[in-house]
Amino acid sequence: MTSTRPTIESGPTDRVRPAISLRSTEFTLAVLAVVAYIVLALTTHGSVLHADTLTAIFQFLAVPVVIGLAQMVVLGVGQMNLSVGVVTGFCAMVTAWLMVDVGLPAWLALVAGMATGAMIGLANGLIVVLTRINGFIVTLATMTVIDGLRYGVHGTATYQGYSPGLTKLGQGAILGVPTVFLVAVLVAIAVAVFFRRMAAGRRLLASGGNPLAARLSGVSNDRSLVLAHLLSGLLAGVAGVIVVALSGSVNATIGDDLLLPSFAAPIIGGVALAGGVVSVVGTCLAALIVRLVDVAQAQYSINPDWVDLIVGAVVLGAVLITQLRGRAAK
Amino acid sequence: MTVTAEKLVKVFPGVRALDEATLRLEPGSVHALLGENGAGKSTLIKIMTGVLRPDGGRIVLADGGDAHFGGPHDAQRAGIGVVHQERNLIPAFSVAENIALSAVPQRFGFVERKTTRAIAKRCLDQLQVELDVDRPVSSLSVAQMQLVEIAKALAVDSQVLLLDEPTASLTSDEAQRLFTVMRALRDQGHAIVLVSHKLDEVFAIADTVTVLRDGRSVAEAQPLADFGHDEIVDLMVGRAHAVLELARTPVDRDAVPALELDNVSTADGHRDVSLTVRPGEIVGLYGLVGAGRSELARAVLGLDTITAGAVKIRGERARIRDVGEALRRYRMGYVTENRKEEGVFLEQPISRNIAVTVWRRLARFGLVRSRDENALVSTYQERLGMRLSGPAQLAGQLSGGNQQKVSLAKWLAADCDILVIDEPTVGIDVRTKAAFHELIVGLATDGLAILLISSDLPEMVTLADRVLVMRDHQLVGEIDNAHDYERTSQAVGRLLHMTGR
Repeated sequence: MTSTRPTIESGPTDRVRPAISLRSTEFTLAVLAVVAYIVLALTTHGSVLHADTLTAIFQFLAVPVVIGLAQMVVLGVGQMNLSVGVVTGFCAMVTAWLMVDVGLPAWLALVAGMATGAMIGLANGLIVVLTRINGFIVTLATMTVIDGLRYGVHGTATYQGYSPGLTKLGQGAILGVPTVFLVAVLVAIAVAVFFRRMAAGRRLLASGGNPLAARLSGVSNDRSLVLAHLLSGLLAGVAGVIVVALSGSVNATIGDDLLLPSFAAPIIGGVALAGGVVSVVGTCLAALIVRLVDVAQAQYSINPDWVDLIVGAVVLGAVLITQLRGRAAK
Repeated sequence: MTVTAEKLVKVFPGVRALDEATLRLEPGSVHALLGENGAGKSTLIKIMTGVLRPDGGRIVLADGGDAHFGGPHDAQRAGIGVVHQERNLIPAFSVAENIALSAVPQRFGFVERKTTRAIAKRCLDQLQVELDVDRPVSSLSVAQMQLVEIAKALAVDSQVLLLDEPTASLTSDEAQRLFTVMRALRDQGHAIVLVSHKLDEVFAIADTVTVLRDGRSVAEAQPLADFGHDEIVDLMVGRAHAVLELARTPVDRDAVPALELDNVSTADGHRDVSLTVRPGEIVGLYGLVGAGRSELARAVLGLDTITAGAVKIRGERARIRDVGEALRRYRMGYVTENRKEEGVFLEQPISRNIAVTVWRRLARFGLVRSRDENALVSTYQERLGMRLSGPAQLAGQLSGGNQQKVSLAKWLAADCDILVIDEPTVGIDVRTKAAFHELIVGLATDGLAILLISSDLPEMVTLADRVLVMRDHQLVGEIDNAHDYERTSQAVGRLLHMTGR
């Protein structure tokens, strides 16, 4: 009894942990995306292989990726942000207004547009923490408010002809890769580093994974909630300025069709709705798959209404699979 | 580190959870904290760790100063660490991160992974445990998680370590290894508090003992060697409990049992549970919190799966799929333990709360008339002595005792003749409690068969005709209750804390 060393062996799989496990959601999604692309290439006689089509696929992937990340950040603390879509639209309108009506230089307008998103996110977070009302309800309310504000900026009219330099940059490419897509990738990397390496990101996930344990370890769950909503607003602002740079003209309808995609990407990407687990790679790959559904619609000239139906069905299926996996793991 | 909790008092509505309890801790010793359900152990631990604030008394630290804990963090800083019964780890995080969570080493906002791992390794080494610090906690066994929690407490330099039922979910082999760890920590000079219901464990490892009873410390930091098993049990259950004498009609022991379980096993882990409840009889089911009593009731009512054995109602084999079926086909009702969450609809009027079980019977062409519902209320208002302003009063506005009566009334309205009553008087003041006891006895006299689940031993002794004792999801004994507190409580105590398994 004197020197019984209580060794608790680790399984053999612990030592060598592959970067991406073959059974992970990320791997499944990557395979799915590749297969979908190949099928598209074969059935459209190679039309999706053309440079123009490829550029379009990735240009219009930028906003879905960033908007998916904006939702993912809030899901990480176990909440939802229903206002991401309208905040994106509002920030786009504010940015355009600052350039056209106020006459700010483009770079300053972009910074202000993103800051607007962050401020709205901060407000969401503070309301959630101070009132103890669930984020779902709070953001439902702010969504409605901002929906109205969007039209307050410039009515139903369209801003166009702002900063040609910005539009040229937004529609351009660096080494053949669309600039807006590069921006989205950089944002994704920043978010990944935040959640993996930064103390604030880890605390945020701790609050989402087990709020009681986090509190007993001295982590402030309130701070995590505010930070998550703030980041979510900031990312929605980033999505807004991407829209401004990419499209060359903006009006108040921008953001109307972004709420479902914002949930679709993280949920299909394997992010836990209960909080505590995020996946940047999964969210990006899921956004790509949803984008390919859009491409297929255009290529096969399917009724656009079917796209929402397919994406909705995929979301439901993804949640179901996650649940079944959870049960199988038990 | 010497820490003394002196004459702590904590009052909850209707109950004095701690009544000048004292706990003296010395470095380099394992101190057992013992007591029956509701003796005040959890409350004491919560005060020591800053989760609750005391209403009286003080905590004196090694330097002679008083401790004022504003929250769990303050207690940690004072060197008091705790491993709670519930798991308090972040499942998706690595072992290392969980251990270092209270003070994550960081530079420029980035987590310093090397230092995090080093802290984790140092703490695990201190426990002499080998564990890959990069593994996610969700992949660990329960025993490994337990060790991670202890390591986590050590990471904040805990000189006092409180372990609340640390072996509850461990195999005996794993428990032995945990004891080795505890001995090592004791030899390093830590003060360790062990809360356990397993007396053989306590005698194997503890040096000193404090026994709580009804919120008072009846033994204060005495050497454990001075006691035998039976003496400890006697201290825990006490002697002086006046039992309310209630007139009982004798039970016809030859009658066909209203409810009978024959070697029932459940998905929740019950094995070969057999019991009978006859009409007019109150059968008590006693056990420690977590022994599986409520879970058994839930399985019988179809809320959990029965995997083997038979349930017989009035002599005939019954297959109960849900509470609705139990009610309509077998006239069996379940007065739940958690009245606020499971027993009553707080936002609804009393009339609807009582009529919910009989809407089907009251309905004419699918419509329920409030006149019929109100008639029910007046019937049971009188029978149960409920104090109400009227049938339209919301259940949430009633006192705890009256809520419990509403919860009971709905099953009586449904014409139940078998009732499972779970913890009927938790959080109810003494006078209402006595009235409730008379009420339950009255129901038995009317011929109802009652299975009573209670963690309140005096209540058991007052009400039950027979007391069945459950331990780890099995029945370990039966006591014919002669309503003599001393005899019954000691018999129950011995069954609960029996050595060996």
